[in-house]
Amino acid sequence: MKSLFEPLRGTARWRRWFQHLMLACLCGPLLQAQAAMPAQERSSIVASICTDPGAYRGALDRIVQAVVGTSSADAAWGKTLLERLQAVAVICRAQGAPVFKVDHGVVDAATLEPVTEAVDELPMVPTLVLARLLKTSQAEIELFSPDVLVRRAAAQRMSQAYAQINEPLVRLALSKAADPEVIATLELALAKRSLASGSVEVRVEAIRAMGKAPSESTRSLLQKYQEDRPDMSAGERAALTQSLSQIDRALEVGKAASIFFSGLSYAGVLLITALGLSIVFGLLGVINLAHGEFIMIGAYATYVVEKWLQAHAPGWFDAYVFLAIPFAFLVCALIGIVLEMTIIRHLYKRPLETLLATWAVSIALIKLVQILFGSQNVEFITPSFLQGGVQLYPGFFVTWNRVFAIALGLVIFATAYALIRQTRFGLLIRATTQRRDTARALGIPAPSIDRLAFGLGSGLAGLAGVVLTQIASVNPSMGTSFVIDAFMVVVLGGAGSLVGTAVSSLVLGEVNQLIEPFHGAVAAKVAVLLLIVLIIQRRPQGLFALKTRG
Amino acid sequence: MLNSVSSLRSPSCTTSHIGLPVLLVCAALVLPLFNAVFPPGHPLHLSLFVVNLVGQIMCFALLALALDFVWGLLGVLSLGHGIFFGIGGYVMGFHLLNAAYADTRVLPDFMQFMGWSTFPAALQPFAALPVAVLLGLLLAVFVGGVVGLAAFRSRINGVYFSIITQALTYALMLLLFNNDLGLGGNNGLTGFTLLAGFHLAHESTQVALASLSAVVLAGVFVLLRGLAVSGFGQAMVAVRDDEARLRFLGFRTDRIKLAAWCLSAAVAALAGMLYVPQVGIINPGIVSPTLSVEIAVWVAIGGRGTLTGAVLGAVVLSCLKFWLSAEIPSAWPFVLAGITLLITVALQHGLWGGLQKLRIWKAAS
Repeated sequence: MKSLFEPLRGTARWRRWFQHLMLACLCGPLLQAQAAMPAQERSSIVASICTDPGAYRGALDRIVQAVVGTSSADAAWGKTLLERLQAVAVICRAQGAPVFKVDHGVVDAATLEPVTEAVDELPMVPTLVLARLLKTSQAEIELFSPDVLVRRAAAQRMSQAYAQINEPLVRLALSKAADPEVIATLELALAKRSLASGSVEVRVEAIRAMGKAPSESTRSLLQKYQEDRPDMSAGERAALTQSLSQIDRALEVGKAASIFFSGLSYAGVLLITALGLSIVFGLLGVINLAHGEFIMIGAYATYVVEKWLQAHAPGWFDAYVFLAIPFAFLVCALIGIVLEMTIIRHLYKRPLETLLATWAVSIALIKLVQILFGSQNVEFITPSFLQGGVQLYPGFFVTWNRVFAIALGLVIFATAYALIRQTRFGLLIRATTQRRDTARALGIPAPSIDRLAFGLGSGLAGLAGVVLTQIASVNPSMGTSFVIDAFMVVVLGGAGSLVGTAVSSLVLGEVNQLIEPFHGAVAAKVAVLLLIVLIIQRRPQGLFALKTRG
Repeated sequence: MLNSVSSLRSPSCTTSHIGLPVLLVCAALVLPLFNAVFPPGHPLHLSLFVVNLVGQIMCFALLALALDFVWGLLGVLSLGHGIFFGIGGYVMGFHLLNAAYADTRVLPDFMQFMGWSTFPAALQPFAALPVAVLLGLLLAVFVGGVVGLAAFRSRINGVYFSIITQALTYALMLLLFNNDLGLGGNNGLTGFTLLAGFHLAHESTQVALASLSAVVLAGVFVLLRGLAVSGFGQAMVAVRDDEARLRFLGFRTDRIKLAAWCLSAAVAALAGMLYVPQVGIINPGIVSPTLSVEIAVWVAIGGRGTLTGAVLGAVVLSCLKFWLSAEIPSAWPFVLAGITLLITVALQHGLWGGLQKLRIWKAAS
């Protein structure tokens, strides 16, 4: 038995899971009360606030439980009560039940029914103590808000007011939290609370616990503790030294892993973007400066799908990301084919003019989208299955939206690779890319191949737009900044080479993310550029140049 | 087929190539005349606004001239001429900051925000105008030289070169947006008061600057035109038309390209130096990739390879832009896109080429 349980107790992760399980058992009955609170209980809560300053804390905790709990009637009532208290609109009457002042008169504090009799007493003004407690309660409720920014702010408040937090409630919020920032802040709040404890054993335990849950914030907290208490006991000192070195070690590994991972996700998006560019460039020798705008159109197509589902099939809302994949691809491919037929076709012999023509298309598209959708960022609601993430290692948090970007990048690359390598269409593309004249002499309809390949490239850009909706902000000019990186991928990887595109996406994605956190975005861009110029000195056609004869 | 080799040699065109500088010098004389002689309210009076606009457009034309020299004659499309324009502009900005500080003894706002108490020593070499102009040109030639050397030696050409210059522009813009660089970040350099002892706010200074821009444009035009019809210009055209063959004939094509490229960079920097005192500000927007592509669009629309076409394109497009941006701002991108598409797809030789064709056709009939 011992050997079976040893590893479970050994790791912090398992411990956390176990704690969640315990919490679910403890808090479950409390929060799963299905029936609404009886009116007497509501009155007694209001009455205790009215009469007994010593009972503030207990009453507020009960209100918070009501709001956080499952009964929507109770939640509405609790919110109203807190809001009325803060608005100085609760009247405690000498005779009869307490009432709320509202816009159109006076309502009963428990039932929220209008009160007919005249009320001439003054509302209760919250004392300083009550006001502070009210703020904390408000934050406790906001810990469960659907808006992640509100949750983060609430967690910050918890961390500031750590001495007065409601521990079971915070633990419950912690068990439900998915946002890494919220989790870190709340854990810090709990640890801070224990660090301030009067008992040495509790403090040592807290120090040890913090050592096992390493993060930047716990580290700075422990350091501050070390500075603030020069006279700590030997046990504490030993635990502190051990915890700090433990944290440092873990943080370094976590940081390296995080940088690698974010480079990987950036590489995934670069890959999808550059793939289309590379196919078109390799085949036609044409650089499409409007490629970035196809990304943008793909993102807006996703937006349209999202809004449509929200209006017509809210139950299927989360699926919008998947529905958007074919939709964005088709929309962009169609626009690409039309563009090829009307403009690009006439410019194949003059690649430099194509740059200008596609640039013209890009500014027109940007303006068109600005007129249709406005120039502000459009907001996306992340599907629930892409929200949050999982902490694989202390300081190394894998978010689902980035995993999605990497996975989609791989799937699309594999599909494109199969398409080019295994299908007849791919064979025709490769033949035309390598020897256009011979291919035509053998009866390959090069113009239609060009058109379809251009459509494919544009469609792939649309897919990159779908992925970007989950990890970047979407506005009409989003493509411009992004496409330059994609060009660099093509220049480095060699036009028309799928493997080259994949390798150089990975290299540029990693290099970018490796330099950016330490030296800023500019240094990253300049480094990438220098790297490319250096490599191109040796291999002017890119790393994986195709052998072609025009 | 009308290409620039034939247009360079055909006698029918030479007259008009003398015509343009003459026209520009006339403009340089007319500007102060119409501004000063006719009182405000007179129908022939040119307001400060119009004079200023003409001056700015002259700078744009100079910039287009620089690009046409390398694109039209050498076949190297740079999407990064904004870099050199920006270098010239910022260097002139450094000088003007020096002059303003010497005048008012008040540190520019952005330096005060950075917490500096003295004027930075790094900017003091730009205090004398001739030195600043020389440094600006040298800096542009140096940057152009490094980029050109790296690119032409390893035979990066065509769209590869264009894309790399565009990426460079983007990187430089990001760099300039950075506040820590100490060049004013987003807001750029502003608060200029004096240039060579003249107050920039005075109408006469601005009129003189506009006239100077026209004269410089005329001078540079004559210089580049002279180069274009010289042996060097013919070598440039040969590089454009068949670089490999020229190399096999024993020419060092990379050197020809580098020389033309550096000269073009210097001209673009000169344009930037003339531009900044007229607009009174320089910010990173000047090196945005969009502006750099727009320069190429001016050249394409005017007609490349003729130098006259570049000036024509810059003037027509800038006028159209100033007018449309004021009247119906949202229509401008569509109009620009429409003209660009029309020219690139249907009218390869641009406006000037179209005019020439018309003239030849008329002479023949």
